[in-house]
Amino acid sequence: MYGLKIALILAAGFMAIAMNVSAAEKIPKLANGKPDFSGIWQTTSAADYDLEPHSNRKDAPPGAGIIEGGTIPYLPKALEQKKKNFAARETDDPRIKGYTLGVPRGIYYPEPFQIFQRARDLNLVFQFGHTVRTIHTNGTEHPDDPNDWWLGDSRGHWEGDTLVVDAKHFNDKTWLDRAGNFHSDALHVVERWKYLDPNTIEYKATLEDANVYSRPWNISVILHRHREKSFQLIEDYRFTLDYDQYYPPKPDKK
Amino acid sequence: MKNIHKQLHITTSTLLAWLLLLTPVSSWSAETGKADQAKAAAPAQPRANPGIEQEKTVPKLESGKWTGSRLADGQPDVQGHWSNTIANHNNFTDPQGGVPGETTARSRSLPPRDQRAPSRVSDTPDGQVPFQPWALEKVKEFQANFNNPVKPEYVEPLARCAPAGVPKSLYWHGYEVAQYPGYIVFFFNSGTRIVHLDNKPHLADNIKLWNGDSRGHWEGNTLVVDVTNQNGKALFGRTGEFISENGHIQERYIFSNDGQRYNYEAIITDSTVYTRPFKTTIPARKWTEKDAPNGWHFETSLAKHAGKQPILEREERICNENNGGFGLGAAETKKSL
Repeated sequence: MYGLKIALILAAGFMAIAMNVSAAEKIPKLANGKPDFSGIWQTTSAADYDLEPHSNRKDAPPGAGIIEGGTIPYLPKALEQKKKNFAARETDDPRIKGYTLGVPRGIYYPEPFQIFQRARDLNLVFQFGHTVRTIHTNGTEHPDDPNDWWLGDSRGHWEGDTLVVDAKHFNDKTWLDRAGNFHSDALHVVERWKYLDPNTIEYKATLEDANVYSRPWNISVILHRHREKSFQLIEDYRFTLDYDQYYPPKPDKK
Repeated sequence: MKNIHKQLHITTSTLLAWLLLLTPVSSWSAETGKADQAKAAAPAQPRANPGIEQEKTVPKLESGKWTGSRLADGQPDVQGHWSNTIANHNNFTDPQGGVPGETTARSRSLPPRDQRAPSRVSDTPDGQVPFQPWALEKVKEFQANFNNPVKPEYVEPLARCAPAGVPKSLYWHGYEVAQYPGYIVFFFNSGTRIVHLDNKPHLADNIKLWNGDSRGHWEGNTLVVDVTNQNGKALFGRTGEFISENGHIQERYIFSNDGQRYNYEAIITDSTVYTRPFKTTIPARKWTEKDAPNGWHFETSLAKHAGKQPILEREERICNENNGGFGLGAAETKKSL
């Protein structure tokens, strides 16, 4: 009886190990053995409405927030700016002009993005604006003293099956969400991308910006793979909508 | 902190597009200045950097077997940096003939038509798009108003940073081609085009897109792409030729087996606008780390890394957001930090 118990416990243990192994094996991999994040991804979280915990309001569903520790550690002056942004969010959110969402906002914005991955890089094409963010994974470094970019400069490396991305050289023109949370051009983002299972990515990021925050802070969202039949990105160059009506020429009305 | 106005690649192109509208003389000399200087210095020699107009002829390339290298998924490997070889979007049917209404010294000294690159319309006797009368009138109207666009519809949409669309993206700046299992992706200077190689059906007819909806497959050395769902808004160039939202483009990208060239041959069909389908041909060449970046066809930089081999990379392509004040030095509001 005792022996049977031990056998059962051992069997259960082996099964658990075997299941873990098979889950790990099922993660898509590139030929070089690194995880392959190719696919079309989207979060179901309400992060883009407000990264911080918030009740429902006219322009947002309620949300528990995605920040470790609850709120963003703004410096006092920056908190004043955030409040101004919040008050003006209906007009000042760069999203309204169709502008590039930036990093990390593009990742948790509620429209799909597609990852095209090779050994040397990942190109992220965001449906919103159809902008392209390149994450280099070929051992290259941040350039010396480049321009400030809308999407920064992203260099990645692998820590086991986790893709760790260091992103900096941003401009200060993007927001972090619709609630006016923001950053300066000193923003530095460290992302960690990891498969939880073959159709789910855990995305974590640490945001650091000495001009705006009193300390680095962390966010975390889950990204789901779009598995609908024939799903594809549909380009959304919405900054053209104000002048779309003028093209193409049409026959004169008689 | 580096100001975005230093971002030359992108703002320069849009700035030039606008300067062309506002002051055609100065913008033209700015865009082709290097080439003009080279020409003046050594008129009889081939130019080291021939500017945008690299070549005057279109080489012959036939569809057939692919004998070059392949990717792991079996696709012919055509990844890398490419551009057209004859001219930009100034003029669709006389690619080296200048923009409509141009009255610069350069336009007065153009070589005869038969010494300039042929029309991109390659199967009509006159090299012109077979427009229906109403559509031809619209093209003429656009050309007559191009230099003084008194209505929004006379502004070439690329000057507003709109995606260049099909086929204009292929004769705008240089671009990168990347391949993945099931996809070939064109990272253009203005817009990104994803060609699906997996036989999924086209989008519903009523979805209209700047770059259309592309379904492709390989036939030997030739990438065959079917393009539907166009919004018709991109125009074919500063000469105003266009397709409507009912148009259909059947493309063939015929690659040379050395991987250095391709010819784009497309049949453009649209019974709303044309009297019959016509064919357009656009020659292209590849650029590698052996070539020097030239500010238009080939705009890359060398990555910083510990090794010795040159690694090419491109900077982000973002136009609309950087086009504030049309690149003419828009003031930035100061945040209270």
